[in-house]
Amino acid sequence: MKNSLIRPMSNEFFEYLRDESRTIGNAESISFPKSEADVIDILRDIYPKGIPITIQGGRTGLAAGAVPNGGHIMNLSRMNSITAMRCDEKGDFFIALQPGVALSQLRKQIESRKFDTSQWSEESKEAFLEFCKAPEHFFSPDPTETSATIGGMVSCNASGARSYYYGPTRKHITALRIVLCDGQTLAIRRGELFADGRILNLSTEQGASIKVELPTYKMPKTKNASGYYIEDNMDAIDLFIGSDGTLGIITEIEVKLLPLPQVIWGVSCFFERERDAIEFVVAVRKQLKCVAVIEFFDGDALTILRCQKAQNKAFSQLPAVEERMNAAIYIEIHCEDEKTAVETIMKIGSIMKESGGCEENTWVARNDSDRNQLLFFRHAIPESVNMLIDQRKKLDPIITKLGTDMSVPDKHLRYIMNMYHSTLQEMGLQSAIWGHIGDNHLHVNILPRSKEDYNLGKKLYEQWAIEVTKLGGAVSAEHGTGKLKANFLTVMYGQNHIDEMASLKAAFDPKTLLGAGNMFILRKEGECK
Amino acid sequence: MKIVVCIKQVPSSNEVRLDPVTNTILRDGRQSVTNPFDTYAIEQAVQIKEQHGGEVIALSMGIPATEKLLRDAESRGVDRAMLLSDRNFAGADTLATAYTLSLGIKQLGGFDLILCGKMAVDGDTAQIGPELAENLGIPHITDICEFISITPKDIVCKKITDKGYQVLRVKLPALLTVVKNINMPRLPSIPGVLFGLSAPLEIKNAVDINADSKLIGLSGSPTQVVKTYMPERQSKANSIEGDIASQAARISQLIKEFI
Amino acid sequence: MPGLKINQEKCIGCGLCVKCCALNALRIENKTALVNDNCILCGICVDNCPSQALSIEKEDSEQTDLSKYSGIWVFAEQYKGEVLPVAYELLGKGRELAHQKGCELTALLFGKDVSAEAQKLIAYGADKVLLCEDDDLADNLDENYIELFNLLINKYNPEILLFGATGFGRSIAPRVAARVRTGLTADCTQLEIDHETGLLHQTRPAFGGNLMAIIVCPNHRPQMATVRPGIMSAQQFDNSRSGKVIPVSMPKPVAKNIELLEEVLSSEIDSIADAQIIVSAGRGIGAQKNLALVHQLAGLIGGKVGVSRPLVDIGWSEYKHQVGQTGSTVAPKLLIACGISGAIQHLAGISGAKTIIAINTDPDAPIFSIAHYKVVADCVEVLKQLISIFEKSEY
Repeated sequence: MKNSLIRPMSNEFFEYLRDESRTIGNAESISFPKSEADVIDILRDIYPKGIPITIQGGRTGLAAGAVPNGGHIMNLSRMNSITAMRCDEKGDFFIALQPGVALSQLRKQIESRKFDTSQWSEESKEAFLEFCKAPEHFFSPDPTETSATIGGMVSCNASGARSYYYGPTRKHITALRIVLCDGQTLAIRRGELFADGRILNLSTEQGASIKVELPTYKMPKTKNASGYYIEDNMDAIDLFIGSDGTLGIITEIEVKLLPLPQVIWGVSCFFERERDAIEFVVAVRKQLKCVAVIEFFDGDALTILRCQKAQNKAFSQLPAVEERMNAAIYIEIHCEDEKTAVETIMKIGSIMKESGGCEENTWVARNDSDRNQLLFFRHAIPESVNMLIDQRKKLDPIITKLGTDMSVPDKHLRYIMNMYHSTLQEMGLQSAIWGHIGDNHLHVNILPRSKEDYNLGKKLYEQWAIEVTKLGGAVSAEHGTGKLKANFLTVMYGQNHIDEMASLKAAFDPKTLLGAGNMFILRKEGECK
Repeated sequence: MKIVVCIKQVPSSNEVRLDPVTNTILRDGRQSVTNPFDTYAIEQAVQIKEQHGGEVIALSMGIPATEKLLRDAESRGVDRAMLLSDRNFAGADTLATAYTLSLGIKQLGGFDLILCGKMAVDGDTAQIGPELAENLGIPHITDICEFISITPKDIVCKKITDKGYQVLRVKLPALLTVVKNINMPRLPSIPGVLFGLSAPLEIKNAVDINADSKLIGLSGSPTQVVKTYMPERQSKANSIEGDIASQAARISQLIKEFI
Repeated sequence: MPGLKINQEKCIGCGLCVKCCALNALRIENKTALVNDNCILCGICVDNCPSQALSIEKEDSEQTDLSKYSGIWVFAEQYKGEVLPVAYELLGKGRELAHQKGCELTALLFGKDVSAEAQKLIAYGADKVLLCEDDDLADNLDENYIELFNLLINKYNPEILLFGATGFGRSIAPRVAARVRTGLTADCTQLEIDHETGLLHQTRPAFGGNLMAIIVCPNHRPQMATVRPGIMSAQQFDNSRSGKVIPVSMPKPVAKNIELLEEVLSSEIDSIADAQIIVSAGRGIGAQKNLALVHQLAGLIGGKVGVSRPLVDIGWSEYKHQVGQTGSTVAPKLLIACGISGAIQHLAGISGAKTIIAINTDPDAPIFSIAHYKVVADCVEVLKQLISIFEKSEY
């Protein structure tokens, strides 16, 4: 039987060979299932044939998790319905959706309270009526790129600026439906099934049972999206969140919404010296309560942004940062009344002064349009860097951006910043650093000018992975391991634990075909070890 | 130079939706914000003050909550503000609003320049500027996209027209309306926000400004809204099927009806 | 005191008015609705009340004698001696209204050396032309027109006065309305005489086009409106029609507060906003070189080129071509959208288009939700075919 859902690869689908990591893979076929039944249908057809399967959402990932490694691409972006709504006895709201729903779509619908309820159950419709009456809600995970799909965000346990306060995607996922490689399904609800120590027993809806021995490593106590999430007596759902499409295919997700804070203000603080900015962050973390976001941009990032603003029309409406500023910290205040917000900005002003800055050098955004301007500013930095790299790539195609995603414990913030800068300087590499400094999680972007730079940069990157591991940090804090960071996972956990992870995977995917190349370095012909 | 900036409170979103149960029209006005066009007028006024000295006064007619937006303008460089607020102002169309604003301006004791945004995003009328200028008996120019030179006597500026642009010289006092993107409205600093919270702000009612009750609010508004409704969305597009050649042939027939 | 009145007997306390008010200006107490201080009398609650308990009451203003007002006037805006198309469109509509009211249709033709246009206005439906020729009317400077309008309105007492919602029309019309103290409705998309009251029903979009409002001006004259270009249809040009041209003289002196120093025309800027036919392109065009096809087709069918914002953002095209909320708002008779998926901001900018043909490979693209013709195909291939069709044809 020829499966009509599976289409041979052609030029038309070229886009689907790449993601935002800007690496390009290869594949023989592609499918766009619209339902769980389609997913099962496709899997039953191709899995037995030993064809590797790469699962895709919005292809906005930065670790190449969605880049195919031969075989089949299963793109879930057309599974984009919001299927149900629920309100529990505490008055919390939950939305069930298919994995291809884009974050921007979900946000917009929550904000405007516009949902197509025609296919919903009566209970869902009732919950929706309650939702319309309730105060405003939001879904807190906020990766910068809002065309990300919720499925993709679950697969890499995405974070974002607000994770400093609200935690990563994991914390907001309450149920998953997963199709396993043989077409059987798992329905897992948070709080219902736990591991016994490091043994997890699962049973499929069809009645088969799966016994899983969980790896024995201890995860770092920092923000982390490296490898499988493993803990003693862990909730079963957490194993699948952040599993990079290597265990099964997520077909339905229930997310929990949070009440939207009454007051959200953004404050950008500019500093002439980077060390003042770091001291400021350390003090803010200690002294301020209602801070949901602490982000950092170094002087190089600001310089690149100034250049793009001058050259590129799309960025001409960016607010201008004075030349003398060499670092910026963006803080978001979430609280219930304006009085608290005013007190908080006054405190921010005085901490700035104590840290060697000046409270005049701030931008305060108190409404959506001002805050959008600051978010545009934030989003423009990675975009500017990508444009710069695209220009350089024309000189030598080997050149790509080398962007890190590592986090360390609080006490090492000053040390790690110094280390990044001094090693970059030693090697004479150009860079731009920005990211979630509240979690000591910075994206150091090495910007190679030549092939030599690129190779030096790769070496330096590995050196940092070793150092970060020593400090008790994570090699991937939010982008997921994907294909690009698989080798760092070995640095972080060592080969023994990687082997344990491989046997965990084998319990779900005996032929090691799902998400081929993600988390595990591909040896040959889709075999992992 | 004494500059008055007129601002309007508008809903943050123009979205309209139907209530799922009752089919009534609901407006999504989650936040009230300063009309985006007016933010450019505020910035322009502050820039002129910074270059040529003087004072910037923000003026609005609106419900008491509008005070917050005037204070926001003060956090961005405006020196003081006046809010015209009275239940009797409610229901004003552009003619009554322009009259009321003109009385407010007369309370300020003279001015050199009035700046307004090109239009408000909720009403889209773009009428207040010219109507206010007429009430004050001063010249006006709409759709200014650039200020070229400013002296105490006159201003040379560039106006966007349907055909391109004009460079005009206007004698002061005058009223000018500015287009979007004429400048980059600044964000307030922390000291700016704190200034705004306690900056001078007067609230005046109809009696305070000696308003003729027949010319304000609903009574002073010649126009009335008879009905509002949601425009019917076009149901479904006609699909043009077939291979590329037959699709193109059908499209070309359609095009020929228009040329 | 005028204001929102709540009939306590009719009010059932259902709370719908509270729900639909964007300003929280209503509350329910003891099962009836009450008005708060911040009501702006927008009237949404009145329309939504299921038991007709709400009304907006106005104090009885002194009745003006409306009987002396008659006739429909159309301002025939001209530019450098040539009447703009919108004037002919207004005459088309004006003819209809005049027919319903049984009155005369008059065109106002003001400018320098414009008398040659008077006959055209008659051929397009005017019964009379009030013609004022003066050097001071050469440059479309508002202040030179105000006294002239004031004088004529007071002399002839028209019942209805229509302007094109052009840049100039939208600047001069409110100034005139304030001078003669009457109501003005901006940017109307529909004009009708109400059978019962004989009033002009003026329909206009509000809230960015999300709502339509019907507006009347019951007690003031003239009833004034500006009308978007391209919305009304001109009637057939009929040179055999005859009418009267009445010369009027310019009131002097004019104020001369505003001086035109320089005028720069950029044919490109106005062309999209005014264009009757637009061929527009979005990301689906694939490559920058394919934009040449869009220009080629536009050239062949006498259209202009528009692009969606992403093409400007990535530098394939220039801002002056950008269509959408952040670019130009367009209202062509025909829009051919090639490879435009239809971001919401873009759709807002093209919602005035009379006919939209959308070509896109993705059958689920949002552009199809507002398109009149849906073509699921590769737009580059379709463009090539269309170009070859029009190259061969007579046009």
